[in-house]
Amino acid sequence: MNAWARLRLNLDALLHRRKREDDFARELASDLALEAEEQEARGLSPEEASYAARCAFGNTALVSMDVRDAWGFVRIEGLGRDFRYAARSLRKSPGFATVAILTLALGIGANTAIFSVINALILQPLPFSDPQSLVRIYSTQNGEFITGYGNPGGPSLVDVKDFADASHTIQQAVAYDTWRKNVSYADSPSGPQEMGVALVPPEYFEVLRIQPILGRVFTTAETLAGDHVALISASVWKTHFGETPDVLSHTIRINEESFAIIGVVPEMIPLWMEPRRIDAWTPEAFLDSRQENARGSRGFATLARLRPGVSPDQAQTELSGIAARLAAAHPIDAGVGVAVWRLADSRAGSMRPMLALLAGSVSLILLIACSNLANLLLARNSARQRELAVRAALGSGRRGLVSQLLAETLLLSVVAGALGLAVSRTGVAALTRITGAQMPQLASLEIDWRVLLFTFVVSVSASLIFGLAPALTGTQINLVDALKEGGRTGSAGRHCQRTRNLLVVAEIAMSLMLLVTAGLLLKSINRMQGQYLGIRQDHLLKGHMYIPPVQYKGPDAVTRFCDDYGRSVRAIPGVVDATISAIFPPRDGWTQMFEIPGRPIASLQDVPSARFGVSDSHFVKTFGIPLLRGRDFNDSDTPTSRRVVLVNQALVRRYFSGEDPVGREIFIGPPPSSNIPTDDNVTDAVTATIVGVMGDFQNAGLGLPPDPQILVLYSQNPLVNVAFKDVIVRTATEPHSLVPALLDRLHQLDPEIPLAEVATIDEVVEQQTGSQRFTTILLGLFALAGVTLAVIGIYGVISYLVALRTQELAVRLALGASRNNIMWLVLRQGLSLALVGCVIGLAGAFATRQLLASVLFQISPLDPATYVAGTLVLLVIALAATAIPATRAVRVDLLHSLRQE
Amino acid sequence: MPPKASQPAPSRSELLQGTLDMLVLRTLLFGPAHGHQIAKHIKQTSEEVLQVEHGSLYPALHRMERKGWITARWETAKDRNREFKFYRLTPAGKKQLAHEESRWKQTIQAMARIMWPAWEQKP
Repeated sequence: MNAWARLRLNLDALLHRRKREDDFARELASDLALEAEEQEARGLSPEEASYAARCAFGNTALVSMDVRDAWGFVRIEGLGRDFRYAARSLRKSPGFATVAILTLALGIGANTAIFSVINALILQPLPFSDPQSLVRIYSTQNGEFITGYGNPGGPSLVDVKDFADASHTIQQAVAYDTWRKNVSYADSPSGPQEMGVALVPPEYFEVLRIQPILGRVFTTAETLAGDHVALISASVWKTHFGETPDVLSHTIRINEESFAIIGVVPEMIPLWMEPRRIDAWTPEAFLDSRQENARGSRGFATLARLRPGVSPDQAQTELSGIAARLAAAHPIDAGVGVAVWRLADSRAGSMRPMLALLAGSVSLILLIACSNLANLLLARNSARQRELAVRAALGSGRRGLVSQLLAETLLLSVVAGALGLAVSRTGVAALTRITGAQMPQLASLEIDWRVLLFTFVVSVSASLIFGLAPALTGTQINLVDALKEGGRTGSAGRHCQRTRNLLVVAEIAMSLMLLVTAGLLLKSINRMQGQYLGIRQDHLLKGHMYIPPVQYKGPDAVTRFCDDYGRSVRAIPGVVDATISAIFPPRDGWTQMFEIPGRPIASLQDVPSARFGVSDSHFVKTFGIPLLRGRDFNDSDTPTSRRVVLVNQALVRRYFSGEDPVGREIFIGPPPSSNIPTDDNVTDAVTATIVGVMGDFQNAGLGLPPDPQILVLYSQNPLVNVAFKDVIVRTATEPHSLVPALLDRLHQLDPEIPLAEVATIDEVVEQQTGSQRFTTILLGLFALAGVTLAVIGIYGVISYLVALRTQELAVRLALGASRNNIMWLVLRQGLSLALVGCVIGLAGAFATRQLLASVLFQISPLDPATYVAGTLVLLVIALAATAIPATRAVRVDLLHSLRQE
Repeated sequence: MPPKASQPAPSRSELLQGTLDMLVLRTLLFGPAHGHQIAKHIKQTSEEVLQVEHGSLYPALHRMERKGWITARWETAKDRNREFKFYRLTPAGKKQLAHEESRWKQTIQAMARIMWPAWEQKP
């Protein structure tokens, strides 16, 4: 009989139960009557005949029960009865039920929370059609990701075109960029705001398969002509245009220029996908970047749609081959490779190792919770020996008893699962509030069917796996012993006790692992946040500006604006110093090649390069960077005077070791001898004199050793006097209190320029450690939960042991043992469990060092101090948990407990 | 509380159960019969050696009905003016009977070889 047929029969049995029972009653009656008639025919009186017939048929109640069993009723009825009974018996011991449910709910809740994070980061499908064939193409240099402005960047447009032309795996590829621009609407009285604008060719919408909800996307002709047309996001349409269709006759102003709105893009670009929220799209053909001399200009965001049936691995293999050919053909591409990632995989990104760690930790929590549950059940079952024995004596089979006990566990776990779901919802909501701004991936954190299914499966399997063993041992009943008057209730035996000890040891081991991991992460994040950036990090406020070229034509106008603004900011009371700069620590995404005259360069790989920045003359003073040699920029450095440059210690170490760099000249830009074409974004390619050496400050990103750095004055380098500038202010007062004054001075100069991304450097650092902090907070909570559960476990076991041994301890006391002896006797038991657990836990922590090493910063995963501290903390807590029952043991009432015997 | 059916049954009834099914199926090969007739037939044909308990018969009948070996219908008996529940064999039941019969034969032969070793060697 297959499963389906059986299910149908069971259903049939359930639905037609009454009918079947009536039918059988009738059958029995008719046959009984026949038997009686036959007996009567043999000459018995009617009464005697009916009696004889009933004798022949035996216990009809029993028969009908067996018949019902044949139809499968009993099993179904039994199930319902088991659950009803379970509910009643749990209600009768609310203490046990509460502890068990809370314990499990904690474990299940933690797992559900982490699963919903994994769900949001990995499992939920992307909002695009056929998301599995969408990939990002990143560019690598010598195997490492090259970084564009913020995120890993893609290949140059020239390379992308060569990839697309030669590839059989890629259907369509598109490179685009997202910029911060000053955007204003006809209706907005507050002036322009800085917003994310995507500069995209029309293929962008084809690759992502985005259909505008209103209007149309750009044409190729518009893109090539650079027409002033724009698409806006649905949320802009709603906030600024009241969702009216006549939005298509309106314009928006981007950087002081009018763009006709031609369409509305649905709200589907997830926040994690781009460095910033995109609210408008304008056509961009990147004509300059398509010239052969821009082959080295990488860092664009690149998306591709794979051909149907092609896996990212196949695309990776193919593109790597093409990249190798390009590298051989073009010197600028030497050492440059590609990485093809599923777009969906870029969502978890750097969080992946963290997720593994978190998933591992919550599994430990669940294991601990389940061990505790198993322990509680073992204790409860052995305390219920007599009840179980009575039920067995009355004819309940072992299977019946086990299924009864399992029903109880199942009921517990279902309630705990529901509670855990609620716990995880609150927890997740709190976490999103704490870290949400920094982790846009978690914006879509929600309880969907996957999370519900997960919770259900975890709850039920936890109860079945961990409920079965206690149920099996609990029902091994020696009837005679258990029912004997005065039989020890805990006589379920040594075997049972050993299981309980093992469970406690495991709990302690696992919570020590959690404790050590949390400790290491805490230290790591402290080091990361507390690391010396090479600057005076406190009281620094920064804001971003875009100085529109339409209004400020030419570098001189930009210089004038920046100098004016810098001067007026420095005049604000409470401002110690201020600088206008295109970069700020801890990260400078701009790299630049240079050459030291007189030093021949053998190959392209040997071209010196450094992080590059432009600023005014107040950079070093404002950031509090130590000046190690030479002088700072000063007012004598004018656009017409000799070009000057500041370098950092790392540059001196790498390129001027043993020499005094001050006074030396460097040529900034691709060395003329290397035949590298300069592209637009590079520099004036001029010779400049090093006038000073700064101390190293972080410029490669948080937690990374500083790279060589070059700093020049924007006033002397018109070609790199970019429209993007930050104002950075060192304040004497609370930094944010100066924001209104900063805005006021800015709008006095130009009311149309917004001040965006205002934050202190402290906040910038905090933001960049967001995912680490997220993990650390969670792991800290998990460790706390784990230790709490383990303490409950050890307390439970020792209390139980003390209760069992009350009489023995009383005898010992009576025979002259001192209270200290007794105390020690009990303490020793708890301590030995804790010690064994700690040893195993340390070994476990040691075993996970590799996983940990990937997420730790400047701390060894085997940091001895953390290991020792974790062990000590756990031992002390375990000792405290044991001390409570131990004191109880000492206070034992001699006479009372001896008389009990 | 009566002993529950889910209790592990003693091995003796296991054997009986197997044979009971076969005996009932074999009886129904003659044509439809109701429970009482089946019990009587087995008792009489075996010359009162095999007594079929009603307590085993009815559960067995219902189990076999559930398995689809037999079907049941209320019909008026020829000799009595009353309806009885008549069971009849289905094709699946016939197949089951053949299967159990051959198994039973094997068992008897195997037992015979052990109990009376010389029996087979006789000419």
